[in-house]
Amino acid sequence: MKKLIALLALCSAFSTAWATETKLEKIQVDTSVAAVERGIDTLMGNCHNCHTLKYVKYRNLLALGIKKDKVDAWRGDQPLDAPLTGLLPDTAAMQSFGKIPPDLSLMASAREGGPSYVYAYLLGYYITPEGMPGNHIFPETKMPDALGISAATDAAQRAEIQSKARDIVSFLAWAADPHQTERQQLGYYVIGYLLVLTLMLYFVKKQIWSRLE
Amino acid sequence: MAKRIIDWIDHRFPLTSFVKHELTGYPTPRNLSYWWNFGFLAGFVLVLQVATGIFLAMHYKADVTLSFDSIQHIMRDVNYGWLLRYMHSTGASAFFLVIYIHMARTLYYGSYRAPRELMWWTGQGLLLLLMATAFMGYLLPWGQMSFWGATVITNLFRATPFIGDQVVVWLRGDYTVGDATLTRFFALHYLFPFLIIGAVLIHLVALHTVRSSNPSGIDLKAKDNIPFHPYFTAKDFYGLGVFLIVYFTFVLFFPGSLIEPANNIPANPMQTPTHIVPEWYFLPFYAILRAVPNMVGGVVAMGLSVMMFAFMPFLDRSRIPGGAHFRPIFRVQFYLFLLDMLVLGYVGYIPPTSESIVIGQIATLCYFGSFFVLPFISKAEERWLIKRGLPPEVQALIASEAEEKSRRTKR
Repeated sequence: MKKLIALLALCSAFSTAWATETKLEKIQVDTSVAAVERGIDTLMGNCHNCHTLKYVKYRNLLALGIKKDKVDAWRGDQPLDAPLTGLLPDTAAMQSFGKIPPDLSLMASAREGGPSYVYAYLLGYYITPEGMPGNHIFPETKMPDALGISAATDAAQRAEIQSKARDIVSFLAWAADPHQTERQQLGYYVIGYLLVLTLMLYFVKKQIWSRLE
Repeated sequence: MAKRIIDWIDHRFPLTSFVKHELTGYPTPRNLSYWWNFGFLAGFVLVLQVATGIFLAMHYKADVTLSFDSIQHIMRDVNYGWLLRYMHSTGASAFFLVIYIHMARTLYYGSYRAPRELMWWTGQGLLLLLMATAFMGYLLPWGQMSFWGATVITNLFRATPFIGDQVVVWLRGDYTVGDATLTRFFALHYLFPFLIIGAVLIHLVALHTVRSSNPSGIDLKAKDNIPFHPYFTAKDFYGLGVFLIVYFTFVLFFPGSLIEPANNIPANPMQTPTHIVPEWYFLPFYAILRAVPNMVGGVVAMGLSVMMFAFMPFLDRSRIPGGAHFRPIFRVQFYLFLLDMLVLGYVGYIPPTSESIVIGQIATLCYFGSFFVLPFISKAEERWLIKRGLPPEVQALIASEAEEKSRRTKR
């Protein structure tokens, strides 16, 4: 709605107001279970060492359709109801990065641009002329280039990293909104039902009002 | 058996006659357009918000250490908790949309004119209650925007003369927005809807005394009124169907579009978000607040901008019936006012720049200006219209109104 109002209010006339904001490439999130599963595989290897996902429980991964032995390997001796807590103690994180890495459960909905932001951020790393790591999307970031995009030179390698980032985004989008698929499926039934109902109510109204001369 | 029970009740309580006079047989102008559906829709959304809110409160925890987590618990673990929460958060926006359309209809058709001033003023009271309820409810998820929004808005009460600082502490229950603020906002967020229900009843009693306004702008003859049931029940339910399609499209397909991304980050008093924006329904008023460079002035301007509507019965001095339909200048002014609201909304949404501040100030002047010039314009417009010769439809309306009045006084 806010966006709608913003658009309505003659966006183009004031386009200079947006000049400071970085344009994000809008990506289509693959919500298939396969993509989400590839995403968590990558995430468990690259991100979970430092980041927590405290609102996602191992049980949720089973419900999503991930094989039990895989989930068992990840959780070790933790119960199924345990959340995906990180492996890095807070004190160690403070020593290495100067801050505690943010929880990723809601990352895909907690930034302007959502999944597109996360995707752009993961691929936003580069090496400065001074040889220091930098990030176009979030320059103040303390996170190292986890996927290694800044060091990747040949096209095949970059494409592989891009597809990895896409999978991570698929998983994070699921983690932020695990009922999305269910919600949308329900949505088609609800809207379909309401369309039929409203059409019938329209004819009821017409019929009743036709009694007036 | 049923008849015997109803007879027993009717002997002790005016059930049948009440239903007949105030609900089914309630005489309603037959020429009401679909713009008159929105009062009913507002009542429906109120019920929806109360119903979803009560169930949310069964799972919500008003405690700074628990509330953000409890929202995620509702969204993930409670059966259909996500549906309750999205219906409630989308319902807040739906409520304001419906109320703003309801108000715009009143302004366009001049429904605030005598004898409906009290309808308009009770409506104004309802708007304030709704704004307070929405504002307090927005703190409850305890996200970044919840916290900083509440901090900014409670801070405005510093503008109170002499006891400003004390008032702010009194409102927050602490020197900063914290646990005391959260628990009291939760308690009041649960209380206010019931005050709203009470105020709605007063609004409806007033309505049933003065009867519904209608597009003609005059009170219709008795034969042009039709019973509320089945005609307007059928019409309202059809309108409700259309409303629900729009509402559930948002609830089920775009629920996140009404939630600011920063509110998915837990409140952090140590870190201010890059820019603090209120919900869309407060944006024009927020823009007016920011347009005035001085804080006290801004607060006064913002308060006044909401309250200006209450003066409409005094400001609009035209007696031409038919709402804006037969009043070309008022009609242009009405649409310019809506446009001005959109500009203010946009200016309130974007981070302030030197251009946007100027645009906001001009739009604020236009906002108040349109109220201040109305008494002169409406009178001049009336004179001009009469001098030019009123169209036959308007003359017929005025004649019919005079006839109706004399018939009533004779009786």
